[in-house]
Amino acid sequence: MISMMSSKPASLTAVGPLRNFTENIKKISQELIESNQEIVDFNTYLMEYYKQLGETWADSQKKVMSKISEIPQDTESTEAYKRVWIDMFENDFTQLFDTESFSKNYNKLVSTEMQLLKRWNTIMDIMLKSANMPTKEEIDEIYQELFSLKKQIKKLDSSKKRRDVKNDS
Amino acid sequence: MTLETSVNESIIGDFLNFNRNIAEIPSRISVPHEVKMDTCEYDVVYEEDRIRMLHYKPLTSKQIKTPLVISYAIVNRYHIFDIDPKKSWIRNLLESGIDVYMIDWGTPTKLDKFLGFDEYVNDYLDNCIEDVCDRSSVDKVSLQGYCTGGTLATVYSALHPEKVKNLVATAPVIDGWKDTTVISNIAKNFDVDTMVDVVGNMPPEFIYYCFSILKPFEQGIEKYLKFFQNLENEKYVNSFLKIEKWLAETPPIPGELFKQWIKGIYQENLLVQDKMFIGNQHVSLKNITMPVFTQVAVGDHLVSPECSMPLHYAVGSDDKNLEIYPTGHVGMIASSYSQKNVLPTLTKWIKTRSD
Repeated sequence: MISMMSSKPASLTAVGPLRNFTENIKKISQELIESNQEIVDFNTYLMEYYKQLGETWADSQKKVMSKISEIPQDTESTEAYKRVWIDMFENDFTQLFDTESFSKNYNKLVSTEMQLLKRWNTIMDIMLKSANMPTKEEIDEIYQELFSLKKQIKKLDSSKKRRDVKNDS
Repeated sequence: MTLETSVNESIIGDFLNFNRNIAEIPSRISVPHEVKMDTCEYDVVYEEDRIRMLHYKPLTSKQIKTPLVISYAIVNRYHIFDIDPKKSWIRNLLESGIDVYMIDWGTPTKLDKFLGFDEYVNDYLDNCIEDVCDRSSVDKVSLQGYCTGGTLATVYSALHPEKVKNLVATAPVIDGWKDTTVISNIAKNFDVDTMVDVVGNMPPEFIYYCFSILKPFEQGIEKYLKFFQNLENEKYVNSFLKIEKWLAETPPIPGELFKQWIKGIYQENLLVQDKMFIGNQHVSLKNITMPVFTQVAVGDHLVSPECSMPLHYAVGSDDKNLEIYPTGHVGMIASSYSQKNVLPTLTKWIKTRSD
């Protein structure tokens, strides 16, 4: 025992109540390590997202500035200035949202966020399982079961109704 | 040294008024639950799971026999059809002597995430129409679908043509590849499998995001500036709050339905290509042989006319009508324009084709 403790202290957890704990810690660590790449990807896509928005904002602002020099500087023109600003920004941002590059980057951003959420769910499932509580996967199975049961009951109910109508007539 | 700047007095006045209006908001506007959304009276005549069917009380002594069932969209709620008495689609139909039913798809819960096209079309919509047929002692109804509800109504008419006397498709989502909106641009590259797998139902927050990028500056800034400027106009404030409440009350979309929607309509475009199957049944638009009225709006930034119009050319009907209106997605159903231009043609069309 002393020899084992001095050479491989981690192996102590291979016995007794710590075994599950170690297994869970290992799984959680694995998930966290694997999520690193997704965090990096998420930040890359998020930066690109803000870059696209920022560049479009700057371009629109430039256009507005060049346009407002043509608008007289008096009270009546405040409304005209607002209109130019809104129209210019609306037009440029709609063009941005219509581009393939925006759509692809935005969807990668959402998708990576979902992958990260998925990892979080897996970690939560490990913890719930260790606390002897139902996991998301198990709850989903129950939902699915309930859904198909409800469907079956509805089918039976409607066939019974049809039979009753037939018998009545 | 003094720094002199010349700022027009009226600009300062406007600025002060604007700030005063912001400060006075709590005393001037109603809290959301006090904002009444409907103007016409109705009874809830059918309920199943989360869905409800409303039957509006008649406003004329005589009505045509064939009832009209409206399949509302799966995004937002049905209130927009009756949000303002002067712009109410429902009121106009009732005043024209049409018996109107409305399907409210309700608010799905996590348990409903497995609901797809099959359940919406072959169960809910079919059960509602069966119920209306029983109540009105008719074999067929007129069916109107708006936006995504237009797609459901179209699919239903293709699968159950024997129960639909007339089909009215108002801005239906039909040809996803031809859609030129920002929504379709996002949908085409969307990883819907992962999203549904992780979140279950499509959360309202995501739907808000999609709305917010449609007209970000008009809807996100100008609308509120106008609101603060018009805070003393009770009619304006009332109408603004109703629309805000309607926009904010969008329910989640069942995960499976959303998945089938994005993949089937926007990514693979199955309906127009005659490749759509629902509950093992082939959905062929050629089966739609009843009279069809397709309504599209040129300025529709949610469902572009190019996306809706293919329905007119794909159906098997001989009696079909396509109307293109110079308005927007909501303007087509809830505006003074629709009262003057859209509804008169529609009510006449329905009445001449009903019992």
